Amino acid sequence: MAKTSNYIPQDSPIDRMHPMVKIYAIFCLGLSALLFPYFLFSYAIVIVLFIVAGIAKLLKRFSKFIIGFTIPITIMLMFIQGLYSPKNETILMDFGFARLGLEGVVIALNIIGTLLVFLGTFYLMTTTTYTGKLVAALVQSGMSVKVGYLILASLNVVPQMQRRMSIIKEAQVARGVETEGGLLARFKAFIPLLGPVVMSSLTDAQERGMTLETRGFAVTGIKPTTYVQVNESPSDKLIKAILILFFLASAGSSLVLRFVL
Amino acid sequence: MEETVLEIKNLSFKYQDSKKRVFEGLDFSVKKGEFICIIGPNGSGKSTLCNSLVGLIPYYFTGKWGGNVIVNGINTKDSSIAELSRQIGFVFQNPFNQLSYTAGSVAEELAFGLGNMGVPRSEMLKKVDKVAKLMRIDHIIGKNPLELSGGQVQRVAFGSTFIMEPQILVLDECTTQLDPLGSEEIFDIVKELNKSGVTVVMVDHDMERVARCADRILVIAYGKQIAIDTPEKIFSNLDMASFDVDIPDFVTISKILKERGYYKGEITIDEASAVNAVKEVLA
Repeated sequence: MAKTSNYIPQDSPIDRMHPMVKIYAIFCLGLSALLFPYFLFSYAIVIVLFIVAGIAKLLKRFSKFIIGFTIPITIMLMFIQGLYSPKNETILMDFGFARLGLEGVVIALNIIGTLLVFLGTFYLMTTTTYTGKLVAALVQSGMSVKVGYLILASLNVVPQMQRRMSIIKEAQVARGVETEGGLLARFKAFIPLLGPVVMSSLTDAQERGMTLETRGFAVTGIKPTTYVQVNESPSDKLIKAILILFFLASAGSSLVLRFVL
Repeated sequence: MEETVLEIKNLSFKYQDSKKRVFEGLDFSVKKGEFICIIGPNGSGKSTLCNSLVGLIPYYFTGKWGGNVIVNGINTKDSSIAELSRQIGFVFQNPFNQLSYTAGSVAEELAFGLGNMGVPRSEMLKKVDKVAKLMRIDHIIGKNPLELSGGQVQRVAFGSTFIMEPQILVLDECTTQLDPLGSEEIFDIVKELNKSGVTVVMVDHDMERVARCADRILVIAYGKQIAIDTPEKIFSNLDMASFDVDIPDFVTISKILKERGYYKGEITIDEASAVNAVKEVLA
């Protein structure tokens, strides 16, 4: 199957998993991390995600993605929450211009943990799920075909724009525009590319509409079918049930921890 | 009496930002199973006419529209383009415009229209397989359409229209990306479809092919319908050079022989009849 968007074809059980299971994982794990009052819970889920990434044969890419996201977001949130949170009472360090508070650090760690769970599950879903399969699964679950098209078209926008950009770049190089060299030269070459890329993308949108209609996209009174087929196996059903139970258990224990104890 | 599948009644169109009409007073009808070729100089409105036949005008291109286009008894004004697509298939001039841009493989691209029409998957698979072999794209069936060459995309574009099995096929200069051999292959398929009863309306600049394939030729130039008739009558009666249209060599041969008094037969429009005419002169 050809590669589109972020999907990296791999022969792994995660790749073969029904796309809806991965959608359930995003929401069940993400919401559990969001509701649970202790940040260590979120990081425990992130460790599980690393194991899942290993099974999916994507550990290196997943690690790079998580590190790439964690470093800047941690610096930013530690600065905002750690130094300037109004809830700061227990001072950990005094920098003179600002003081690092424990309460702010905990808030920052909570936010980072929750974001990592949401982004990590979403990343694993997009890299292990063929987009055609994802949309077929969503349509089978009752989603409108038009919304399905919107998702697929959005996921395919990047490769299309890249293709168009390289065509325009080649045309400009052929007419003597310098596109290689230092940062400044490349930046100068990039600016004139933007206009044609944006304008042609807008024209494309109209042409796309015409194509879709001439191929019967908006035809009424027919239940559309899909070429890509997705089947839910017993193990998919089991994982889905476990995810739901996990969410219910963590939501329940969150309520107890927050309001009872 | 043969069934009329396309009726164009006093059709005129002017684009919104244009000062003059692309064409006016187009009036002709097409019978079931006919092969009609549209010829004329650049800017004469051939593509605009094609867009009108499939309903893209007036729905997508705004402007001043007059007259009627009736497809299998349905006035295009009263139907959506999608509904019309059940009757009429359109192959765009630019094959990249034919792609859905949602398919991850050629197979999915071919099946896109069938899915919209609710064709069951088992039937879809058979049709995709058949069309992929017919269009000689079976070796790239798993490839992403965005990774293909222009010629390959053109074949996919054709396939994605043929697979819908339309009763009427509109082809707008649709072999521009193909080499001569590939182009001939596609036209052989179009001819086969025409023989099986599919009505074909085609815009093409290859006059030898037009003369060979068409049952009738529609000539439009300077915004007017100049003539619609058989290739023999069109090429023998009209001064095609005045409409910036090339005359096939086979026609020129018999015309010159006729003008010089060596040949008294009909104007020749294909290789075989031109050879016979020359043989007659030499005998």
